[in-house]
Amino acid sequence: MSSTDVKSRLESFNCYYFDKDVTQKFISFLMKKGDVIAPHKTGELSYKYEIVSDATEVVLNYSRTILPLKKAFMPPRETLINFNIKNNQYTKPQISTEPKIFFGIHSYEMQSIKRLDYSFITGLPESNYLTRRENCKFIGVAYKPDEWHFAGSVGIDINETDGFCLYFYPAKNGYIVFEITDEGKNLLDEFGEGSEVTDEYLKLNEDKFQAKIKFHHNRIPEIFTHVYNSKVWEDVAQKCVGCGTCNLLCSTCYCYDVHDEIELDVENGQRDRFWDGCMLNKFAEVAGGENFRDNLGSRNRHRLYRKFKYITNQSDKLHCVGCGRCSRYCPANISLVEIVNDLIDDYTKQQQKEIL
Amino acid sequence: MENLIFEKKDLYNPIISTITNVEQLTDTEKRFEIALPENQILNHKPGQFVQVSIFGFGEAPISISSSPTKSPLFDLTVRNAGRLTDKMHRLTVGSQLGVRGPFGNGFEVNNFKGKDILFVCGGIGLAPTKSLIDYVLANRNDFGRVVILYGTKSPSEILFSDEIEKWKKDKSVELEISIDRPDENWKGKVGVITTLIPPLKLDVANTIATIVGPPVMYKFVLMALKGKRVPDENIYLSLERRMKCGVGKCGHCQINDTYVCQDGPVFHYPRVKELKEAV
Repeated sequence: MSSTDVKSRLESFNCYYFDKDVTQKFISFLMKKGDVIAPHKTGELSYKYEIVSDATEVVLNYSRTILPLKKAFMPPRETLINFNIKNNQYTKPQISTEPKIFFGIHSYEMQSIKRLDYSFITGLPESNYLTRRENCKFIGVAYKPDEWHFAGSVGIDINETDGFCLYFYPAKNGYIVFEITDEGKNLLDEFGEGSEVTDEYLKLNEDKFQAKIKFHHNRIPEIFTHVYNSKVWEDVAQKCVGCGTCNLLCSTCYCYDVHDEIELDVENGQRDRFWDGCMLNKFAEVAGGENFRDNLGSRNRHRLYRKFKYITNQSDKLHCVGCGRCSRYCPANISLVEIVNDLIDDYTKQQQKEIL
Repeated sequence: MENLIFEKKDLYNPIISTITNVEQLTDTEKRFEIALPENQILNHKPGQFVQVSIFGFGEAPISISSSPTKSPLFDLTVRNAGRLTDKMHRLTVGSQLGVRGPFGNGFEVNNFKGKDILFVCGGIGLAPTKSLIDYVLANRNDFGRVVILYGTKSPSEILFSDEIEKWKKDKSVELEISIDRPDENWKGKVGVITTLIPPLKLDVANTIATIVGPPVMYKFVLMALKGKRVPDENIYLSLERRMKCGVGKCGHCQINDTYVCQDGPVFHYPRVKELKEAV
């Protein structure tokens, strides 16, 4: 990735310089417009999206949050209906449409929301998710890839601005703020601060990804038409412990389970949905105990096929955004990039055999 | 997202419906006749299912065992096999339960017109098939031969004995029942359901075969039909999966890229052959 790509991406947008103080003032300004959700530090190397209560606590140079932004639109636990057992009546909880501003979002995370939009709109558009998606603004920030980010390999550049209204790019003692959309421009106009960007500040360099998939992202779905029976899945199964962390932390996984819970009065209760994961043993079990994906190889395969093939065939987009969470937090140190690269090797060998 | 046009839907709100009749079919199976409120019509196709729920006990997919010709009432045949179905079995006429649906595709009955129909039903698989059998018998002149093969483990597990008596008397229905583990009173055929297939005389090119039963049954029935040279494109099967939503979101019923709740539960066999992890 050369710096000209960065330039061609960002230079067409109007921009201003915010120093650190102005940046914090801007966050406080946004807080008057609605809930501002931004990354906060929760441990030495861990970050979390939280509603901002103090602008000074927002962290903009972070690697990634542990939980992805999907939690804002599809909470880990969510009540679908509140019911009364005695009279068999129920109500659907009201979902807030108060304005929300997501601040300091990385491009892969923004793209994960676009993927989820596809999943929840396609077929029957689900009101729970889509109501939460109303009145949302996203303000992006550039990031420095660590050893796990591989968004570039799935076609999402660091400075991809699609979905953002404003984009923050680090500069000396502050940020260059790019106006991506009219909505962003209106925010900056109303805020009224920020200074002209001089050459001293406008130095755009795109950082390089350390983790890379060997093939261009356009060719990944093609790989997956040839590796269903690859030995790679058995190799992964040898290491995988089936804990489902990769599902829970995946920014585009949205499978769920539904349970009824009864309150202590034994009269009222709620039907809740919870995040579920196809890596968990019982996920594909049916009545009578038959399990159609009863081994870790087939479950890993299903997870990756959902990212690179099944949904992709319909949406024309890869549904892995390269955030690296599944690999960063895997207790067995399984790397998604390594799996895909192993599959590519396997596929390449297959092809060579066919030629010979 | 702002530019897309779509209508948001509350997908998880059940319609509170009333049980109008309960019939004990076997030791473990009951048939429930259900009425939606205000004479609403479920508007289902044979082979479709609904998500049934009882507050506090959860929700599960249950296939509709009556033909649309029975509207506005419809039947659910339920085996007492878990928390929800156990509670259901304790409900009586007038009790209420939640219904969402109908979901799935159902059988394309128009494609079956003029054809001989071979119904292959294993155990509780007769329940979903019965929605189609009833439909075919209600429109008897539109179809050719009606051959029903039904296999259960023991005579006590035979479902719909009233209907079966009627089918036995109906000269336009050919019915064969086989019991895997007979008791001393059983006078009929003995063996798994596949043993009923080889002796059949079929005009295979003009025969539609439907298969519904426990997961273990499909491979063997398909082999037996292959032995009779029934063309793959004449075979339909209904697949069972766990489903939490019925609307193509929760992921539980997914086979490769296919959601059983949306593209099934009824599948054309050539499609199933493309899927792995299906049967």
